[in-house]
Amino acid sequence: MSRLSRVLTEATAAARSFLRRRTAVFFTFFFPVILVVIFGALVRTQPTGGGLFAEPAGYYIPGYLAVVVLFTPLSRVGSEIARHRDGGRFEKLATTPLSRAEWLFAHTLVNVAIIGAASLLILGLVLAVTDATLVVSPALAALPAFVALAVALFCGLGAVLGALADSQDGVIAASNTVALPLLFLSETFVPPALLPDWFLPAVAASPLTYFARGTRAIVHEPGAWVGDLAVLAALAAGFLALGAYAVPRTD
Amino acid sequence: MNETAAASASASADDVTEEDVSVVVGEGVRRSYGDVVALDGVDVVVEPGEVFGLIGPNGAGKTTLVRALTGTTDAEGTIRVFGSPPDAVDPQRIGLLPQSFDPPERLTARELVGYYGGLYEDARDPEAVLGDVGMTDDADAWYETLSGGQKRRTCVATAIVNDPDLLFLDEPTTGIDPAGRRSIHRLIERLAADGTTVFLTSHAMDEVERLADRVALLRDGAVVAVGAPADLIAEHGGDPRLEVELGGSKPDDADLDGVRGALAGIEAEATADCPAVESTADGLRVLGVRPEGIGAVVDALGSAGVEFESLTWAEPSLEDVYLRLTGEEYSPRAGGTALGDSEEGEGR
Repeated sequence: MSRLSRVLTEATAAARSFLRRRTAVFFTFFFPVILVVIFGALVRTQPTGGGLFAEPAGYYIPGYLAVVVLFTPLSRVGSEIARHRDGGRFEKLATTPLSRAEWLFAHTLVNVAIIGAASLLILGLVLAVTDATLVVSPALAALPAFVALAVALFCGLGAVLGALADSQDGVIAASNTVALPLLFLSETFVPPALLPDWFLPAVAASPLTYFARGTRAIVHEPGAWVGDLAVLAALAAGFLALGAYAVPRTD
Repeated sequence: MNETAAASASASADDVTEEDVSVVVGEGVRRSYGDVVALDGVDVVVEPGEVFGLIGPNGAGKTTLVRALTGTTDAEGTIRVFGSPPDAVDPQRIGLLPQSFDPPERLTARELVGYYGGLYEDARDPEAVLGDVGMTDDADAWYETLSGGQKRRTCVATAIVNDPDLLFLDEPTTGIDPAGRRSIHRLIERLAADGTTVFLTSHAMDEVERLADRVALLRDGAVVAVGAPADLIAEHGGDPRLEVELGGSKPDDADLDGVRGALAGIEAEATADCPAVESTADGLRVLGVRPEGIGAVVDALGSAGVEFESLTWAEPSLEDVYLRLTGEEYSPRAGGTALGDSEEGEGR
């Protein structure tokens, strides 16, 4: 059995398990939709005013996408690890040929597929219910790569959180603690101009910043995005490696 | 470990001239969780094709030993499986049913067996495996909707789907009804007959006594006895006994004196030795009675004027070994009246 076959076997089981949890599927897609409706359609942006949501509607497209590429992998992979640990599944898998890296890669593939679909939904919804417009260019083809790499990155981080937390409750609490600051302090919804200068290095240290910058350069303000993609790819590789190492093998 | 057990376990280890001929070799296996010592220098050897039973009270270290031998926990000491450290063994050769195992609950039994089989280079046909554990008819039900016994049988199926050479079964029949248990027993016997080495932990003494070629008894993280079930029973099981359930009120002292006097006349060959008599909640227990001596005991009871409702004869079992060596033995003598020579009775 090849490595690819093992990964596909694990991914198939993971996808089936997820798709048969109807509430999980519903809220995976419903949560970002609510955000788009509240902030995009009800609050609306005020380009001539000040404060939050003062940028053109298109500025916030990366933010809406960031909601799903950040929250969903963190909580899903973290919870899955807690569930596996509680159910003795890692103990079982440790005696099979499936490696920890293969396990994480398989679950990352499932998350990329799920979140890719959710991102597509959000993008369509943002364009439909807000004034946002999409810059159509060949660079748009790189948007899926940004989504996939960001999902992989946060799957790796989710694996670390899942390994460190001792329960599913702990995973959720840890995921929220990590994700909320990242979401709002990574050039997604809050422009750097609204932040104090001393905090900007922290913004630059956030992996999500490179997702936001790169995708914004593609969908809203055409500009250079290859560098952001490269940083994101490097970070994704690093976090996946860290996550694979963190996935429990023994008790 | 007591001297007898230590000698037995050491002899088992020393008898193996080449380590790699034994499927499992553990020497001085030790595992601690903080201040709690789960395994305290366990020696264990499992030979090819053997069904090796591991028994012991809750918390004795059975599951920790299984984890140590499968490489799913770190342990001190020397562990060799097929001559290699556990984490270096070809996973194709190992099958594991963890004690606490809850696979993805929204996969069907068929999908679960296919899933775990799909992780191996070479796996058995899932349909055949489901048939082996009696799950063919319920194979399309989600795991979460199965009964406890069906779940456990499905889990057993995931442990044998790769046709392992060494199968670790940590309490495989927990929660399974008698018919299901028998199907698992037959499966284990069939696997053993085909050459699979089975490492079995269980709280069901009858199961271990029936299936295991050798048994190790673990207590407080140490092996206190190891050997063939029959040998352990002969050495530690105590005497056969005859339970006498009396009708009406319990016998008074005069009755008991009469019984004692009558039993004194029982031929020695009809009993293991001079029989000891204990009072129990329901009547009497006569220790050391062989089947051919039951009639003599009945005669003795009759001559003493003691009427009884039923007689139950039992020979010592692995459960008696377990109770005696774990210190959990129920001792009616503590609260009852010994009518025979209690010291001789204890010594047998």
